[in-house]
Amino acid sequence: MTTAHTTHGAAALPTVYLDHGATSWPKPVEVVSAVHDALTLYGGNPGRGAYRLAMATTRLIHESRRDIASFLGVPDARDLLFQPGCTEALNLVLRGLLSPGDRVVACSMEHNAVSRPLHALAALGVEVVIIDADDTGTVDADEVEQAVAAAATRAIVCQQASNLTGAIQPVADLADVAHAHGALMLVDGAQAGGHLDIDLATLGADAWACSGHKGLLGPQGVGVLYLAPACNPEPLVLGGTGGGTSESADPPSVRPDRYEAGTPNTPGIAGLGAAARYLSVHAAEHRVDERQLTRRFHEGVIEIGGFRVLGPEPDRARVPVLSVVHESIDADRLAFSLDRRFGVAARAGLHCAPWAHRTVGTLETGALRFGIGYGNTAADIDFALGALRTLAEEAL
Amino acid sequence: MSRATRPFVVLGFSSTHDALDAETLLGDLGLDVIPMPAPKAVGSLCGIALRIEPSDEVRAVRYLDGAGIVLAARADIEDI
Repeated sequence: MTTAHTTHGAAALPTVYLDHGATSWPKPVEVVSAVHDALTLYGGNPGRGAYRLAMATTRLIHESRRDIASFLGVPDARDLLFQPGCTEALNLVLRGLLSPGDRVVACSMEHNAVSRPLHALAALGVEVVIIDADDTGTVDADEVEQAVAAAATRAIVCQQASNLTGAIQPVADLADVAHAHGALMLVDGAQAGGHLDIDLATLGADAWACSGHKGLLGPQGVGVLYLAPACNPEPLVLGGTGGGTSESADPPSVRPDRYEAGTPNTPGIAGLGAAARYLSVHAAEHRVDERQLTRRFHEGVIEIGGFRVLGPEPDRARVPVLSVVHESIDADRLAFSLDRRFGVAARAGLHCAPWAHRTVGTLETGALRFGIGYGNTAADIDFALGALRTLAEEAL
Repeated sequence: MSRATRPFVVLGFSSTHDALDAETLLGDLGLDVIPMPAPKAVGSLCGIALRIEPSDEVRAVRYLDGAGIVLAARADIEDI
């Protein structure tokens, strides 16, 4: 249970927050403190100026980059880039690497942050081959390999975990496939960061993008992009980088400056750095909790009856999102009632992932998604299950 | 009346990130290292340079090289 909130015409209810797939909330106090300190103590513009206030801010960014890189297993922190979010990071990778005439193989579960750039690139002459996932939302590496082997392929792009079904994709296997055929492995890690143990030194991704504000527990407005040393997309955003070569018309050639034009989001980066330090200590215990709570919720929904639960079975691995479709109550009505009557925050609709909904057969109905994460307890899960049971019984 | 100056060495880097890494490493080494705006003498490089004692230059450069940090330029300056 968390802070009481009111909505227009509704009673004040404590919020049971179950939308961690969209954004994590609340944040660890360390993150809140770091953002506060960034706004109150670190007034200079990082990388712009060598006076003490600017240097303090520059060091703050530098330390955050180092700590986030360490948490994610990035060997050289220069390869860990700050971006405004996962969407921008994925746009940089896709639009900065793919050119007309290139061929890319994608998974049918991709979020719009991937599918929309691919759609735009297809209009420019990039061949986009989509591999259907199974009805749990999991893609088969052998099917991807067949597609990659069929013609010269520039890249495979795949999410690491589904924001709809929670399915975990075989990214390491896909990376092996990509590299065996001279292709790049590009990964949307939005739903994986924080929830899965990520080691980018061994995962095999040539590019890995992640939101800062979901499982990584940072503030909104900042994300990260890892680029392997040999993966060099063209920068999409050009401008001041604070460092040298200011007289040059071209962007810097060195990382991270090459991909970080403009003043960075210092409060966001400071918060994300604090989150990485927090997770370095607590992530393992949180993952155990998330798995147990997700399974408890999954089995509880099955017990209520009348719901189809998307994704893997309760005893199979998944990230902590659980989407359901009721046999007679629309997802939007369920979400509305859960919020207004019970204070349960969950998200209905297509979750910016129409490809994924089409894959699992819910494009016409949408689904109601619960995202479990930091701060959730067994009491939250049982309360939400009780609310769902009440609504289901009222529909009989 | 002018204040007396003495020589220093300024190290330039190709990125702010490298300059900060170098500052940390040289500080850990026990050197007196001061960040400063990159002077014209180090060319068009990172906006932040590091000022060190001339007597520390050989040791600093060797240490940075061993840590994989490429020194982009160096210059001699007079400062107070």
